Amino acid sequence: MTTENPAVAARTSGDRMRDAGSSLLRVGGVFIVVLLVIAVFALLTGGKSLIPANLLGMLRAMSSVAILGMGLLLVIVVGEIDLSFGYLYGLSASTIAVSWIMWGWPIWAAIILAFAVAIFWGCFNAFFTTVVKIPSFIATLGSGTLIFGFTLLITNTSTFNPAYPPAGKVVNPDELKLFTSLANQQLPFNFPMQGLWMIGIAIVVWFLLSRSLFGFRLKAIGGNPEAARLARLPVRKYKFAAFIAMGLLACTAAMLDFAFIGSTQPNAGISFVFPTFAAVIIGGASLAGGRGSVAGTLTGALLLAVLVNGLALLASGPFATQMLFGTVTIGAVVLDRYTQRKRGML
Amino acid sequence: MSDAASERGVVIRGLRKHYGDTIALDGLDLQARPGEILGVAGPNGAGKSTMIKILAAETPQTDGEILVDGEPWSIDIGVHRVAVVHQEPQLFPNLTVGDNVMIGREHVRWLRRDLDDVERTIMGELGILDVKDTPLEFVPLAIQQRTEIARALVQDARVFLFDEPNSALTEEESNDLFRRMHALADAGRVVILVSHRLAELVQHTDRVVVILDGKAARSLEGADKTQEAIARELVVGAPGAKETDAQRVARISDAGKPTVEVSGWSHDKGEFHDVTLHVRPGEVLAIVGVEGSGARELVRSIAGFEPGAGHIVIDGQVGQDAIRNRTGFVSADRAASLFANYSVGDNVVARLGREIAGAGGALRRGRMSRIAHDIRDSFRIKAANVNVPIRSLSGGNQQKVAIAAAIVKRPKALVLEEPTRGVDIGSKEEIYRLLRHFTSEGHAVIMYCTEVPEVFDVADRVHVVSDGRLSDPLLVFQYPDVKALAAAITRLERHAATPAAA
Repeated sequence: MTTENPAVAARTSGDRMRDAGSSLLRVGGVFIVVLLVIAVFALLTGGKSLIPANLLGMLRAMSSVAILGMGLLLVIVVGEIDLSFGYLYGLSASTIAVSWIMWGWPIWAAIILAFAVAIFWGCFNAFFTTVVKIPSFIATLGSGTLIFGFTLLITNTSTFNPAYPPAGKVVNPDELKLFTSLANQQLPFNFPMQGLWMIGIAIVVWFLLSRSLFGFRLKAIGGNPEAARLARLPVRKYKFAAFIAMGLLACTAAMLDFAFIGSTQPNAGISFVFPTFAAVIIGGASLAGGRGSVAGTLTGALLLAVLVNGLALLASGPFATQMLFGTVTIGAVVLDRYTQRKRGML
Repeated sequence: MSDAASERGVVIRGLRKHYGDTIALDGLDLQARPGEILGVAGPNGAGKSTMIKILAAETPQTDGEILVDGEPWSIDIGVHRVAVVHQEPQLFPNLTVGDNVMIGREHVRWLRRDLDDVERTIMGELGILDVKDTPLEFVPLAIQQRTEIARALVQDARVFLFDEPNSALTEEESNDLFRRMHALADAGRVVILVSHRLAELVQHTDRVVVILDGKAARSLEGADKTQEAIARELVVGAPGAKETDAQRVARISDAGKPTVEVSGWSHDKGEFHDVTLHVRPGEVLAIVGVEGSGARELVRSIAGFEPGAGHIVIDGQVGQDAIRNRTGFVSADRAASLFANYSVGDNVVARLGREIAGAGGALRRGRMSRIAHDIRDSFRIKAANVNVPIRSLSGGNQQKVAIAAAIVKRPKALVLEEPTRGVDIGSKEEIYRLLRHFTSEGHAVIMYCTEVPEVFDVADRVHVVSDGRLSDPLLVFQYPDVKALAAAITRLERHAATPAAA
């Protein structure tokens, strides 16, 4: 260290803190935006948006996007993309519905089957991405459509509601109660059950991504797959893990929504594709891989939920939601690039 | 008038550049006059690349003044008047040579035009008119560099920056490149050559400026401009832990059972055949061979990154398992050994698994940081702290991190490709010292080399590969100097090539 510039050597203490601080800046920035948006809507709706029931409703509304988003986050961090999760959501709910209502399986078996199917499609995506080496964009674009076709086949394009089974089919009322209780239970303060699921999943994914060797390597692989290969990191295994996690979380989100809403249809998940991507990107994940956080994704999902909720209270019409989604997504990425440049990364 | 004339060329005053906490340039003063070739030398991290990037408008400066022919520097000047000839040309590989020359100055908006007279003349002079319709990716590196020069000439660039331009060229090609450099200078353009090769700096430049720690430390010209003088400036403070020949001989003869034994080893696609070699504990084995000889593939195959078949034993373990468990590999391409999204410290420990994880796979951040700090100090990595982005480090320091990451994993055999490509003399010595320290613990090093001085400085034995066949080994300590070793290596290359050609 003898030849070192003293000015370089001098600053060693406290940089860890500053480093952590600057990476939080990104999420913090979005969080401030969330608070601003909440304040604006509170003014516009005369405080209506701030009543507890509405806030808890928002928490429930963001949970599906957040759960899907955490799956997508893992895939994006490892440097891939998944366009099929919206269809897998539909297939998962439909698999539960068909095997339970039409085939008369017990509900637990139907749920296990749905998760098995989700794992299968996760492996399918990972196989074509890592073994056949098709870009994941194309592999999952294809598999998504394939999954949708499959869903239409097994459901015969119909909608299912276990409370009103089709003629000749019987649903055990105890099982129905058990299933709906997954997402509907009387919790203290009317806290939404799905919010609790979301928090539980967030803790697990946060640990995996930010505190475990798995996440450390996942980010390395996403950051530079070639270097990861030459360093003998298990690239293929980790990509399989990411796609499987995406599948499992898509299935979880579908199961919970099905249990909460009480009915499902083949195209149920398609409308989640854009908000989920938006939440992950707003949350600071890089599409180039290697960067992203659970806190960011949750904040992104919250921002979208607040926007949708506020606009609904104002009865502004569907056009406003779409326009704001688009604006917010681009704005978030612009903000991200700006803060990155400030840090001297670009 | 005389005042303006003295301002001609490039004048840099007090140039500063900070990357986060790292100071790349710390008040650099430098003047390059038209008609001269100015040499720039300096250890990695001294700020040479940063200076080039700033001049060429690739990155903004933090502070300081630059004048080009008396005019204050602007982005427009950086883009149009300053040209950089890179080690690896930054052009469009999918376009033809001709398109690469004219792109950006098509003038006509909609119609695709042919090369104009100026472009044809310049390309003719550079000898690249014949290949104008060949896609750039299919022409040799030397032609790609000439394309870069042509592209700059048609834009009438005033300042030519050559950044380690010939590190991947043959001797003939680099001689040609130097002739062109002199021609540019003779035509009154400003030519700056950044190089680690001291002989070339002495031979081809009028003046050499040595940059240390982001400042111009010394300007050498005339009789002062000798290799020794430059080297002295460069290694100020660098440790000279060079082994004596006696120590070398003692180490090798003491060595016991080979760490690596390879026999009947062939490449799946025939890049090399029936290779037999061994490396003893504590030994550095160099494999030399030109591109296409199979030498690179052979070295990669020992680390499992080229398909090799045959018999291999590493520290008692056999086959692909041995390769997977007992070797570590560092590519010549730094972009393929580092994680740009990671800090210096995280790069150092990126290969570790159980060593940095506790119960339930939880990361042990404290241990990671301790390992990273130890490595930074023992490898003398010039970084303000281990949490700075890896990209804020200079090339030589990045290379140290890349090699450190492989060594931290404690392989029995370290397999390296051109371990000091594009690295300055100071960092080179450092890296050699680290390799020797690694082997002194009874480990083996196998490295693919393209430069004989590297073999001479660090290897104990060297094999030459030509046409996929391995020569008998040369014992490096038997050669009195680099020249003698180079002659012997060349002889082996020719010798092996002759029967194959017949």
